[in-house]
Parts: sequence; structure tokens; C-alpha cells
Amino acid sequence: MSATTEDSVPKLELDCTIGFAGDVPGGLIVHPDRQHVVYPLGCTVIIQNIVTSEQHFLSGHTNDVRCLAVSKSGRYLASGQVTHMGFKADVIIWDFASCSMYCRLTLHKVKVEALAFSPNDKYLVTLGGQDDSSVVVWNIAKKEAICGSPAAVSSAGITYCVKFANNDDNLFFTGGDGTLRVWELDVANRKIRPTDVNMGQIKRIVKCIEVKDDDNYFYCGTTSGDILAINTKTKLFQHYGPEKDKFSLGVTAMALLKTGNILVGGGDGTVAVVTQAVNKKDKKATFKKLANQTAKVEGGIKSVALRGEGHQFFVGSEKSQIYRFNFAEFTSELIRSCHFAAVQDIVFPRECSELFATCSKDDIRVWHADKGKELLRISVKELCHAIDFMPDGKSIVSAWQDGKIRAFYPETGKEMYVINDAHPKGVTAIACTNGGRRIISGGGEGQVRVWDITPKYQKLVEAMKEHKASVTCIKVRKNDMECVTASSDGTCIIWDLQRFVRNQVLFSNTLFRCVNYHPDEFQVITSGTDRKIGYWEVYDGNQIRELDGSKSGAINGMDISPHGDFFVTGGDDKLIKVWKYDEGEVTHVGIGHSGDISKLRISPDQRHIVSVSTDGAILRWRYPH
Amino acid sequence: MAMAYYGRPPPPEESIYNLIPREEIKPSKPARFVEGKPGIIKNAGYTSKFNDTVKTELKKDKAPAKTMGPAKVDVSPPKQFLKKHQKEPKLPPKSEFHYPDEDKKRPAVPRKEEKPLMGLQTNKNFITTNAVENIMSVPKKPVAKYVDTPKGATFDLDPSGLNPKYVQKKDYGKTPEYLNRRKEEVQRAQEEYDAYVREHFRRGAMKSLSEAERQSMLDGLKGNWELLHHQYQGLSVVTDTAPKKARKERMEAEMKQLERDIEAIEKHKTIYIANH
Repeated sequence: MSATTEDSVPKLELDCTIGFAGDVPGGLIVHPDRQHVVYPLGCTVIIQNIVTSEQHFLSGHTNDVRCLAVSKSGRYLASGQVTHMGFKADVIIWDFASCSMYCRLTLHKVKVEALAFSPNDKYLVTLGGQDDSSVVVWNIAKKEAICGSPAAVSSAGITYCVKFANNDDNLFFTGGDGTLRVWELDVANRKIRPTDVNMGQIKRIVKCIEVKDDDNYFYCGTTSGDILAINTKTKLFQHYGPEKDKFSLGVTAMALLKTGNILVGGGDGTVAVVTQAVNKKDKKATFKKLANQTAKVEGGIKSVALRGEGHQFFVGSEKSQIYRFNFAEFTSELIRSCHFAAVQDIVFPRECSELFATCSKDDIRVWHADKGKELLRISVKELCHAIDFMPDGKSIVSAWQDGKIRAFYPETGKEMYVINDAHPKGVTAIACTNGGRRIISGGGEGQVRVWDITPKYQKLVEAMKEHKASVTCIKVRKNDMECVTASSDGTCIIWDLQRFVRNQVLFSNTLFRCVNYHPDEFQVITSGTDRKIGYWEVYDGNQIRELDGSKSGAINGMDISPHGDFFVTGGDDKLIKVWKYDEGEVTHVGIGHSGDISKLRISPDQRHIVSVSTDGAILRWRYPH
Repeated sequence: MAMAYYGRPPPPEESIYNLIPREEIKPSKPARFVEGKPGIIKNAGYTSKFNDTVKTELKKDKAPAKTMGPAKVDVSPPKQFLKKHQKEPKLPPKSEFHYPDEDKKRPAVPRKEEKPLMGLQTNKNFITTNAVENIMSVPKKPVAKYVDTPKGATFDLDPSGLNPKYVQKKDYGKTPEYLNRRKEEVQRAQEEYDAYVREHFRRGAMKSLSEAERQSMLDGLKGNWELLHHQYQGLSVVTDTAPKKARKERMEAEMKQLERDIEAIEKHKTIYIANH
């Protein structure tokens, strides 16, 4: 859709998002006003109020955000992205107060690895990725680059992190694989001059840097699981520790406390406080973990963010979970969680808009729609393609890549039954009949199978072998007499569920991704990779109408309102579109997804649209009609 | 469809709709009277969280045991006061103890200090003889047993009926049918053989006269002799002519011949006739 038409169409109002790119190092930041947290989600940056959970979205990146920084005053935000090989990766500075883009800085190639603001908001230093490996200092006021330099000597590896001194606008530090440098900025001559820190015998890969308040020392977290202390003045390595009880899987995030202790997040999910100590044997300074202030969370820790002085702090993990810690008691509380892999399916229980379930790699989660809170998580180490609720709401049935159909109790999440070897090439689509006695499943090999479900056994009733490629979507008629299946072999088949034979077949030159019955059940609408929305007659399988659903990407998800007036589509163009059914016109467009939309649904009470995408985000939009 | 839970209560049915968070209804605190300030009723104040539990437990545990006081019954008259040991149970009188098998027991072995009768003493070495007897004795045959349960309870085999006893058979002591049958067969075969041999001889032997034939022949010869004798007696006394003499002589010769024949036949009981 071109920019002109996009502008003319009203925008969908985004209600809330469930999502957090947990794998971005230092991605979770508490704003200096102590009221907001900032975190990336795909190619957007989200500013969320801690108390009210109100969210603002900063979108402008063309690909995933890989680094994030907030200036000391809180006035600016900066984010850097990754992009495809051979392209330039942008750094965007945002104005926090107005939540708008301040400027776009384009110089680095492929990836921006890290960035940091100078203490008085004068300069921004950015670090390019492996293919760029340069340090660039920017003047924020003039929105231009001051100077650049290679980040490390050519023999060293990737530089991972950069940090400014706390009191000096002309001093910053970079660290990485075999490199640790102190840089001095000479603005007048437009030069930066590095000094390599003499590490002696020690070889480390530095993943994070924190600078002491008085700038005398800076601390480096390493992949070996210890912390290095470096003297800023002498640029000499001073001491390191803990020597024995190192952090498993490395020190991945750090924060300095007012007491001089260091709050450390480990790659294995450990959160601990490390203090200065003296080695009893050789009387050398080292670091020591405080035994009473350690905790463990799920997934490796990628960011530790202090709120204010650090009485409370937030921890973001690789598994896209955000924990809130109380420092005094050192207790944690999971405040946000979301999928960390592509979300495959979303489904509402019958006649219930307050809950919905999503499935992804390794888990199925049930969410409370209003609060965005995770109510239930069912973990199975496998990819779940599709889920559905039984009409009575007493079980969740799911289609898995390992060829099994699994059903779960909806409250405890325990396994109710498993149908082993339901499909040889993985189960790719699933639907329950409205009577609640049968399940219809589609497999990667193209079979559509009907299963009898009773409390004691699950029996195959019929296998219908007409599709030649994977079944992508199954929809059942209200009276359970007929169902329609979409397949990536370019056909949709309408099946008679009494005799288990084909009633109609709809051909098109596409990989069908989604199909929906119009509520009157005389027509079906289909869509797929040809970006067309097709209207078809159920009675004779004729195509009535064809619309251009998108200009750029395949359409993956579609849902129709209960009255059949409107339908919603979403796909690889990352846009949600609301269509009038009879007129075939777009009434609203939703912009906000940063990944390809995989599925979407209109809530049963027709007040919201929930869409899920391959970056793990779940977005909830206000339904406009 | 009912499922068997083997005594456990069935798990409560789960439903997705139960996951919808519900607003917790907090019970409002009852109004509190503040001492010393009549008329002032305060709503705030400390109430233990176990308040309700204590109340319900009191009701549940103590209330069922509550009564209307001790039961009202007639008191006994003053003469029937409680006496010593009155409430103790009455025991039966003591009796001498006897072992149940006392009368079956043999008399006791003579004691060491008792004198043997008539001073008789045996010099038999009981230990050796008993040992030798036991060594020489034929070992007792174990009693045949059978086991009928997996736990190994054993029972005598003999009265069980599992081992057949031939005396108890129905046809015990009777000649078997087949032997009778065989005996008859042998007898019949013998008879047949004899008959055959007899027939064979009969065919090869001379004809013998039967008793009746002999008798009739004897009677005929004797009749002929009497007829001749009668004619002889009727002859003229004087034999004067030659024909007379010839006739007389012929008759005498004939008679003589008849007498010889009769004597031959009477002398031999069995007479064979040569068949040629």
C-alpha cells in the first residue's frame, strides 16, 4: 500500500502489546524519571509507564533494534538497529518528552553493536558491529558525526560494549573480544585517541562495562564469569574476581550501586551482589559474591536496570521475562513475560474475550487480555503450530511439529491426552467441531484427519487424502457437516464430514495460508502468498471476487466478524487491515508490528483485534466498528 | 462417562473459564465500639485473620458435646449404701487344676532312689541297641502327599481319591468279559475241529451195522431157523426114499448154517461191511 493511501485511511488504535526483545544486551532500561521503563520489541522501542502500564511506541527502524541507551538527563533515547548485509544500519535519537524522532544517524554498516550518551547530553558514541567495527562520536545538538575510528586493533575480535565516563564528556571506554580501550575525545581536532589497557597475562572477552561514580575505576563483566577492575587514570588492570565462585555462562549485565557494590546478572540467570574484598592468601584486592543477596531467574540475564538509587531494580532475561526485584529483601516478582520465539497461533475460548491462548516454540500460554498478564504456561520442548479450545472450554488441543496432537487441562496445564503419530510430517492445523466430539487435524504431508474424542480414548475416524502439501488452516461449519481446509498446494477443499469426501475444491496459483467461512456459510474468503483475497461460492466452488490484499507481503492471518460485515487481514507487510466485506474496501490500517504477522483474531465481543507476529509480540488493537 | 478413580474423589473438572481472574470480595470489618467514648463507633481496628476460623472451629468441635446438665434419676435408699468390694466382679470358686490328658498318661519313670523290684536289673545297653535298631531299620517310606494350592498346603494322597484303588473297582474279582469270550471261541473252534475230523474218518471208513440192523438181521435169521426147524419137525419119521433123505440132509445143513450165522452175529457187537 502506497504512502498516500495509507495516510488517507484511519489508523487502528493500539491498545497494548505483550512483547519484549529479551536478547538485546542492556535492552531494559529504567528512565531517569523513575516512572518509565524503555525496552525494544522487534523494530520498535516501547516506553512503558511502570505504574499505569501505559505504553508509547517509537517506530522508525527498518529492522530489529539491537541496542538502546537513555541519556543521563533522560531527555534523549538512542537506539541502533541491525540490517541486511551490505546496507547501512541506522541509529535513531528520540526525544523522550514528545516520544518523537529527534534525528536519524546513518553511518554504520549492517549492525550497531552498542551506543552511549555523554554525561551532559553533548555527544553520542556508537559502536559498529563485526562488519563495521568502528567507533563514531556524534554531536547531538548538531546531529552530525564528529569523528570515527576503528574500534580495535585488527588482531582483536569484535568490540561489544561502550560506556562514557560519568563526569567527563571527553572520556569513554570500549571493550570486547581481546580488546579494552580508553578513549579520549579531542573535539577541537576532531580526533579520538585510544589507549589500550594493559591486561598482563589475563585474556578476557568483555561483555559489559560500568564506570564508577568518581570515574576512578571502571568494571568489566566478562564471558569467563568474573569482573575486571581497571584504573582509569593509569589505564592499568588492577584486580579481578571472584576467583573461585565465578558466574556460570559469564557476566552478562551489571549495575553499580551507591554502596560501591556491583549488581551482576549472569548468563545462567543468576542475579547477585558482588563486593570488594581482599584475598586472604596474597592480600590482593578481589571481588566476592554476597551469599545472602543472590537469586536465580529463568533464562540468561541480558539487562539489569536500577530504579533510582537501586532500592528496586528490574531484570530482563533472554527468555523475554521482566522481573522486578526488591533490593532489601532480594525477592523477585515476574511482572512481564512474553514469547521469545515466533508466535504461531492465537485463539479465543468460545464466547470469552477476557482470555486468549497463543502458541510458540516450546510453549503454549494463556493470557488475560486486559492486563496482558500470563495466566498459564504449558511447556513442551517442541514447536506448536496451532491450538484450539474445545467448545466446552475443558481442554486445549494443540498441533505439534513432532506429529503429535496434545490436549491439556486448561487450569493446571497438565497433559490430558496425546495422540502419537497423528501426522507423519508434523501436525500443522487443528480445529474442533462445534459439537465438541471431534477434532479435525491437518498435517505437513497434506492429509486431513478426523478424530473421535472421548474421555477414555481418541480414535481416528477417517483420513482424507487429497491435499498434496501441508494443510495451513481448517475451519468447520456451525452445523459440523462440512469443513474447509486451506493448503499450500494451491487448493482449498470443502469436505463433507458425513461421508468424508470432497464436496468442492478451490484452485488458485498460490500457497493458501488462511480461509474463513462467511457467517452465512454460503461463501468462503481465502488468502495466501499471492497477496490476494478471494471470495468463493461454497455451493459450486466458483470464485466470485478477488481483492488485492497487500502490495508487498503474503497474507498469513484473517478473521471475519460474527456478523460478516468486516474482516481483518494481516501478513508479511506487518500491517493489519480492516475490510468491509461487501464493498471490499479497507476501512482501517494498524501499524505497529515489527515482525511478520502470523495470525490474528477479532475478540468474540468485537471490541479488540489481537494479532501475533514472528518476533514474539502480541498486539491488541481496538476494533473500530 | 464415568471413570474409575479407585476410591479417590474424582478431580474437579477444569475449565478455561475458571482462569478469568475474579475480584476478591473482602468482608467488611464489623463496627467496633471504642471504650471510654460512648457513642463513638470505629470501623477500623485489628481483627485477627484467624477470627473466622476460631469461630467455626468452636462451633464444629465443642457445640455437639454441649448437654442440659447431669441426668435426673431416683437415688437409692440409705440402707443400700455402697459396701466394700461391692463393685468388684464376683469370681467363681477356685478348683484344682488338672491337665486334660492326665488319665491317658503313662506312669512316671522310676526315680533314682527307688529300688528295682526283686533286685532285678537289666544289663541291656539301651543306647546302643536303640541306635543299632534305628540304623538297621528300613527307612520309613514317606507318606504320599499332594499339594493343591500355590502356598503349598499338603494333604494325604491316600484318602484323596487321586490315586486309584483297584479293590474299589466295580468289576473287582470278576472274570473279565474278554476272557469268557475267548474261552467260548476256543471251545467252539475245538468242536468244529472234532466234527471235521470225525466226518473225515467217517468218509474214509467201512460201513458198520447199526444195532437195530443187527437185531433185525438176528431176528430174521432166527425166524428162518424156526421156519426150517418147523418144517424139519414135520418131516416123516421114516427116511425111506432118497428124495426124503436128500431133503432131510439139506434141511439139516441149512439149519446148521443158520445156527453158525446166528452165533457169529451174536458173538460180535459191531459188524463192518466191506465196501467193494
